[in-house]
Amino acid sequence: MRNQLTRPSDAEIIRRVIDGDVNSFEHLLKRYQDYVLRIVTKHIPYNEVEEVAQEVFVRAYQALPGFKQEGSFKQWLSAIAVRTCYDFWRKHYRSRELPMGDLSERHRDWLEKTLSNQSDKSFHEKGREKEAKELLDWALSKLSARDRMVIELVYLEGLSVKEAAALLGWSVSNVKVRSFRSRKKLETLLTGVISA
Amino acid sequence: MKPLQRKYEALKKILREAYFEKEHAEVSEQWQLNVMRRIRNLGPVQSGPSFFMLFEQFVWRLTPVTCLLIIVGAIIFLKLGFFPDYDVLTLFINNTEELSLAQLF
Repeated sequence: MRNQLTRPSDAEIIRRVIDGDVNSFEHLLKRYQDYVLRIVTKHIPYNEVEEVAQEVFVRAYQALPGFKQEGSFKQWLSAIAVRTCYDFWRKHYRSRELPMGDLSERHRDWLEKTLSNQSDKSFHEKGREKEAKELLDWALSKLSARDRMVIELVYLEGLSVKEAAALLGWSVSNVKVRSFRSRKKLETLLTGVISA
Repeated sequence: MKPLQRKYEALKKILREAYFEKEHAEVSEQWQLNVMRRIRNLGPVQSGPSFFMLFEQFVWRLTPVTCLLIIVGAIIFLKLGFFPDYDVLTLFINNTEELSLAQLF
């Protein structure tokens, strides 16, 4: 009860910020920074996370007057975070600022072994986390920004098409079609690694 | 086909684990200060609807009506014809005795 009295609600803080109290935004920043960082970390390279997370809060601040209290602020903020990550990739894919190394024989061997071994061992048990991460980064770098986001949200995070569509601000049918196509592209890329 | 699908399912599981294994980023207090500095530099948020919001709310809503008007206009033009000069000339040729240029204006 006491906690509720001292801790203003999101709606209350938002109202204060819109009324001109810019400093109140710090409450929202502290409350949701870990949540935003968790989202951003999943989609963005580690060294770019701080910059992108900062951009998420700046965008959220600017868009605050447009926030409708129908949904939760957290949900609204997560959509801004995902779209900021998407914009990051769009920008970087255009400029190709992030160089991606090619795969080595080590990765090919790992992939071949993984595909041939149908046992249910997790990658921790196999002790080859590095190869899996590098292969994933390589494959995602070969996809377009749109395909990349859909693969990450639907294929890797396991979100439903509807949830992914709400986060990205796209139509459900668009995400459905793109999800199918991008999965096929990913499979083609991985198959190409073995046959190369 | 089935074994290939099973292989991809196994690979998917491993890639998902790799995806969730990413190192969690920690930010310093300086990061918070930087964000707040940027926000203070932006100044108070505009509470009233901006031009772009109004554009989005009202102008885009009129798009179907505009499209309908364009289609109706195009049909009318097709029915009436695009060449009024040609029609006037035809009128001259057919009624040379009764119509003079001055009568037209």
